[in-house]
Amino acid sequence: MTLSKELYRALEDIVGSDNLSDDPAVLDSYRYSLAHTAIHLGPYFATFTPRGAAVLLPGSAEEVQAIVRLCNKHKIKFKASSTFWSAQGYPSTENTLQLDMRRMDRILEIDEKNMFAVIEPGVIGATLQAEAMKLGLNTHLPGSGCSCSILAGATSYFGSGPSNLYGGWHYDNLLAMEWVMPTGDLFRTGSLGSNCGWFCGEGPGPSMKGIARGFLGAKGAMGVFTKCAIKLFAWPGPENLPVEGTVPAYGVSLPELFRAYTLAFPSWKAWADAAYSIWDTGIGYLAHRQFNMFGRDLKYAMVKILTDPTKTLGDLEQLLQDPEVQKVTDESTRDFQIVLAGMTPRDIEWQDRVLDEILSRTGGWKVEAMNSPEVNPWMLLYLIRLGHKNLNLVFGGSYDGCFGLLGAADLGAANAEEAGAFKKEWEKRGAIVAGGGDCMMGPIGGQGGGGTCLWENFTCFDPYDKFSTDGTLEFFDACTEFGLEKGWGVGMEKWNAQARGPDGKTPPREVRDRIHLSNPQPSAFRYQHRIRETFNPNDLGDAYYETLED
Amino acid sequence: MTLEDFAPEMDRCSSCSYCKWIPFDQVKSWRFAKNCPSIAYHNFNSYSARGRYAVGRSLLREQSSVSETVKKIAFTCLTCGACDVSCKICRYNLEPLEMVRELKFSLVEQGHELEALRAVRESLAACKNTQQQPTSNRGDWAKDIDVPRIDEQPTPILFHAGCRLSYDKELQQEARTAVQIFQAAGVDVGIRGDQEICCGGRLYSMGYRQEFESCAETNLAVWAKAGVKTVVTSCADGYHAFKRLYPRLGSQVEVLHSVELLDRLIQEGKIKFRSEVPLTVTYHDPCHLGRQGEPFVPWDGVEKKIKEQIVVYEPRRPRYNGAWGIYDPPRRILESIPGLRLIEMERIREYSWCCGAGGGVREAYPQYSRWTASERIAEAKATGAEALVSACPWCERNFKDAVQTQNGGMKIFDIVELVQMAM
Amino acid sequence: MNGHRERLMDIVGEAGITEEPTLGESYSLDRDLLPALKSRFHVRPKHVGQVEEIVRWANETSIPLVPLSSGEPHLRGAAAPSTPESVLVDLSGMKRIRRIDRRNRLALIEPGVTFGELQSELAETGLRMITPLLPKQAKSVLASLLEREPIMSPRFQWNLLEPLRSLEIVWGNGEKFWSGSGFFHLDNEDSWKQGLVPLNGPGPGQLDFYKMVSAAQGSMGIVTMASVKCEVLPEFRKTFLIPAAQLDELIDPMYRLLRFRFGDELFIVNRNCLALMLTREAHQMQSLKETLPAWMMIAGISGGHILAHERVQAREDDMRTIIEQAGLRMLADVPGCSSSELQDVILKPCGEPYWKLRYKGGSQEIFFLTHLERTPAFTSEMNELAIQCRYPPSDLGVYIQPLHQGVYCHCEFMLPFDRQNADERARTESLFREASLRFFKQGAYFSRPYGIWAGMVYNGDARTTIVTQKVKRIFDPNNVMNPGKLCF
Repeated sequence: MTLSKELYRALEDIVGSDNLSDDPAVLDSYRYSLAHTAIHLGPYFATFTPRGAAVLLPGSAEEVQAIVRLCNKHKIKFKASSTFWSAQGYPSTENTLQLDMRRMDRILEIDEKNMFAVIEPGVIGATLQAEAMKLGLNTHLPGSGCSCSILAGATSYFGSGPSNLYGGWHYDNLLAMEWVMPTGDLFRTGSLGSNCGWFCGEGPGPSMKGIARGFLGAKGAMGVFTKCAIKLFAWPGPENLPVEGTVPAYGVSLPELFRAYTLAFPSWKAWADAAYSIWDTGIGYLAHRQFNMFGRDLKYAMVKILTDPTKTLGDLEQLLQDPEVQKVTDESTRDFQIVLAGMTPRDIEWQDRVLDEILSRTGGWKVEAMNSPEVNPWMLLYLIRLGHKNLNLVFGGSYDGCFGLLGAADLGAANAEEAGAFKKEWEKRGAIVAGGGDCMMGPIGGQGGGGTCLWENFTCFDPYDKFSTDGTLEFFDACTEFGLEKGWGVGMEKWNAQARGPDGKTPPREVRDRIHLSNPQPSAFRYQHRIRETFNPNDLGDAYYETLED
Repeated sequence: MTLEDFAPEMDRCSSCSYCKWIPFDQVKSWRFAKNCPSIAYHNFNSYSARGRYAVGRSLLREQSSVSETVKKIAFTCLTCGACDVSCKICRYNLEPLEMVRELKFSLVEQGHELEALRAVRESLAACKNTQQQPTSNRGDWAKDIDVPRIDEQPTPILFHAGCRLSYDKELQQEARTAVQIFQAAGVDVGIRGDQEICCGGRLYSMGYRQEFESCAETNLAVWAKAGVKTVVTSCADGYHAFKRLYPRLGSQVEVLHSVELLDRLIQEGKIKFRSEVPLTVTYHDPCHLGRQGEPFVPWDGVEKKIKEQIVVYEPRRPRYNGAWGIYDPPRRILESIPGLRLIEMERIREYSWCCGAGGGVREAYPQYSRWTASERIAEAKATGAEALVSACPWCERNFKDAVQTQNGGMKIFDIVELVQMAM
Repeated sequence: MNGHRERLMDIVGEAGITEEPTLGESYSLDRDLLPALKSRFHVRPKHVGQVEEIVRWANETSIPLVPLSSGEPHLRGAAAPSTPESVLVDLSGMKRIRRIDRRNRLALIEPGVTFGELQSELAETGLRMITPLLPKQAKSVLASLLEREPIMSPRFQWNLLEPLRSLEIVWGNGEKFWSGSGFFHLDNEDSWKQGLVPLNGPGPGQLDFYKMVSAAQGSMGIVTMASVKCEVLPEFRKTFLIPAAQLDELIDPMYRLLRFRFGDELFIVNRNCLALMLTREAHQMQSLKETLPAWMMIAGISGGHILAHERVQAREDDMRTIIEQAGLRMLADVPGCSSSELQDVILKPCGEPYWKLRYKGGSQEIFFLTHLERTPAFTSEMNELAIQCRYPPSDLGVYIQPLHQGVYCHCEFMLPFDRQNADERARTESLFREASLRFFKQGAYFSRPYGIWAGMVYNGDARTTIVTQKVKRIFDPNNVMNPGKLCF
């Protein structure tokens, strides 16, 4: 569909001619390759998300409302995204308007005393963190990194990351919101709706924030969020990070109140015991099994490359032959990273001692190689700023995650070795990076205070190579089958399988229904259908908001 | 190379948008976190490196054709290379800067040049300069100084003034100053005067591959004939052309920027400072001296895969990511000037914000070029400095023009001027 | 009606039904503010199957249901029917603690479990629950969490619904549903050992089901089981008292403690509130009020599991630094109150009679959410309003509880009054109405809109009202669940 002249003019009237385009090449820069990291579906070689009807750059909530009302009038679907990473923010059918929220990028307020910020969708984690740090505060950063929209993670997707443990995940941190509903009505939730300010997301009474997001958000399929307040937490470090080093091996040393360690354990049980003890004692500022995303066999060699500005991926094979690298690699098999941040010298001292005691009780140890002056500052900065998450794609341009084992720490720990071994066999077929099977990354604490873990098994592949992409898809199908056999449920490889099919578009209803009916509690999707019917009567979103019709 | 050679990268681009921001580790504020002027100004994704990868792919697959918008997308790229640095924080097998250059070459070679840039190309063809000025005036900047012309009196070291410094009446003095300082320090330097021709670097970044090669071949032949061993220039554009582009055509001359030579001479005690310069300054890293000023390393190889699907190169491919650019010599110079205080901006070194002059943008999109410069001036003002110092006449000119459209408040200097003030 | 009685008897048995139950005593102004209607039946289901049947029956017959789980006293009117011929569904007899999991720090409880019952069982496994301030003996843990009653330890509260996690819900349409990861509730040893446990509150999926029943006053469905997050039982504790002459003096140090998440139990009370907490007999109140400091911050510190004493000492030293920098003192005792006595009081449910009623037999609460820094202004204004309404300011209790790790706080005024004295009742009502409206207009957030607050809040937020009503129609299409509450 080409937009009619009348419709184009109407949209132009709303956003201005500079902020609207239906040039085919521009529209193609708003298409996502499904051979790539589509996130939890595919990959499908030589497949793209459908071309939008036009792309718009709204500058205010009023403009968004006007656009959405126009869409309702003309029954045109729309999809908004802020940073356009993964396929989620893109149209799923033809004739969809793509909203690019980039222009709405203000940090409207940081309330230092009461520890929250009010932001627009275009605000990314890095800039919010930098501004918050000036005031002695910090923001939780989702695992996709500081290049991503904080609002999007909080309102529309997941919002889980390394600092869940102390900072809470963004489910916890989302306070009031300003939401342009799918009908174009403006909904100010919680205390904001009562004209009391942004501070509380719940209520009055039953919390209608709950229709905007549950465990996950609507992934852009239910209107557009134009502002939100996000809870912050203490940052006991300097106002500006004193970053040193030669690109890309930047690092930061904060010896007074911070510690960054890589911990390793003799068994998975000990690993889990340590996680539980960390949660029980309340130590830790952030904790993540981060670098294992490169693969059990490759991670330390990769750290050596990333911390040395003279090295490239071309040095990997040589490094892997270094006995010292092999030794550290073996030592780090069952590991995770942790950052301790003391609010005071006494606090950090106590936390350090507690950690030592936990290690003593579990038989764990600190991986000394990760404490070296070349590595430790890099590791600390990496984890605090989370500005290297493009490393997910370092090997060849694509990754996606399989399994997940989301739940109590014991769940993952009991099954990690088996999940890794399964992948390791598949690596031999050549389609995916041979990282050693266990390429699992995830938070030590999926929610504030801990309690759950996620074990996303990174599967790296080449989106340009059909053999690689097709082989990855085959592997993911096998993962689903294996996971179901094992009682782990459908894994991350298929979390969005109902959203897009092999043609890049919304799959037929029977496919989606089959997926939903196989869920332990299909009625959840029936209720979501009722919500969709009620609040999105013209159905202007897509199947990223999951529904099951009776 | 051709645009098709970048097809694998077009698919392998992470789509992460790191190309739109300075390296995140270095972000110090919301205000000064962006790195790419073209997307910062135009906002559509297409105007970023990841967007240009997608546009390139769309063109290659004939899913779209070259519209005025496509031309704008390509030619508003300043080729500043900031995207390249940020991309390579994490990626070792993408070359976004090279890709966008190839996109421009491709459009030009298909006959889609911009009108504004055609004028520059024609000026080069006719008068061997990018300023649409007569050849005969090129040497005017040096007419009153006593310095050998290498075409008649060869010297091992050639000072290349460059088109901007040769013809910009306000800035010409800096070329004279540089040469005189070098001479006073005992450097055996010569010039080409009115025989000098354009380095071709600006044309290269505008998309004119052949025209660049023609300039380069001419220059190389002249230098060889004159026995030039070292080329020194105060122009970052020229510096980059000589140091990074000419070697692809066989050049083996040593290339120095004036700041490198000045730094060396100061350290050797051959330049002494006698006066104080009581000024608080902030230093702008020119793109082509800083992140694009890294040494050239020849390479001819192929892609291969290890560990089944990790993309690497055989032989090991050099990596240009801004790590080894020229950042410290100008800072050492400034810090050694008595009375001068240097305060850094937020975006410096390999993640410096562009001045807005490069890639043909100043010529073709003056409003956007001026906006880019204004952004940098705002950043300079935010430091509290009285002056913004650079080491490139293109940066300097663009800043001066932008300051004039504002209510002043920021002095603009070339580093050579401050050195002279201190001597 | 006989048919209804028989049908209900079929479901809950004869012992489980009372016909035309009495209203019970009133302890607040709830019946003065809104009419109290008698219910027709009071039924006591024993398990979720019975609850499902009751709700399905209600849908067939359009007879309203009013769920309650706690015993008396009731102060807020949520369990007082707003429509005639209703059925009280009393879940207080569902008292099983289904499971306690030390490793995952969760307890799986039924609605009738009280704080005292739960805490003693948790203690045997080395756990505890963070509780509200002095809940009544008969208070249902589950009801308290559903009502979003403020808990004493803000540092453990990553979101406002904590420590509530997964739920088993019977919606108003009669469907049984598990929110969060509640479908792992089954007593399947293997699953539990594997780590498939009901740890999550949100979801499942993209709808946050448990938020629909949170502070809903039973108007969306009936919750029949909940998993509750627990904390480690401290091996060692200290409680400190930080007195001040003015509330303002406590605000900045409180912010600093909240910033660092120092302190476990952490709240502020005025002398009247503290006196209420400490006295058993009304006659003790006056002399105690005169002895106690005007304001007090209560700060508990605890240590457990590892290096407990060291933690307590480190915290104590750091907190003392902060308090002393504010020109205040962190004490073990103040005139009228010792920390050991207070610690003992606040770590248990309230004895009888309920503490807020000990002074005058009746009490009306005004509470809302606001920023900590605004509480002095609200407090001053409340004092002035009290004078205007001829309510003695010297009787006003104030309780300020930081929540959600310090982003906002629960600000509560307690208005003790003698229910038998009509004049006192009238003055208290006048103050209550005036203060509620005044504070609402000044941005006090009545997030739990009981009684007349509902009209005030929902009339002031049309969009929330419309959305909430639409959602109600999804989960309770026949409006059988406590109709007349909130905006229904």
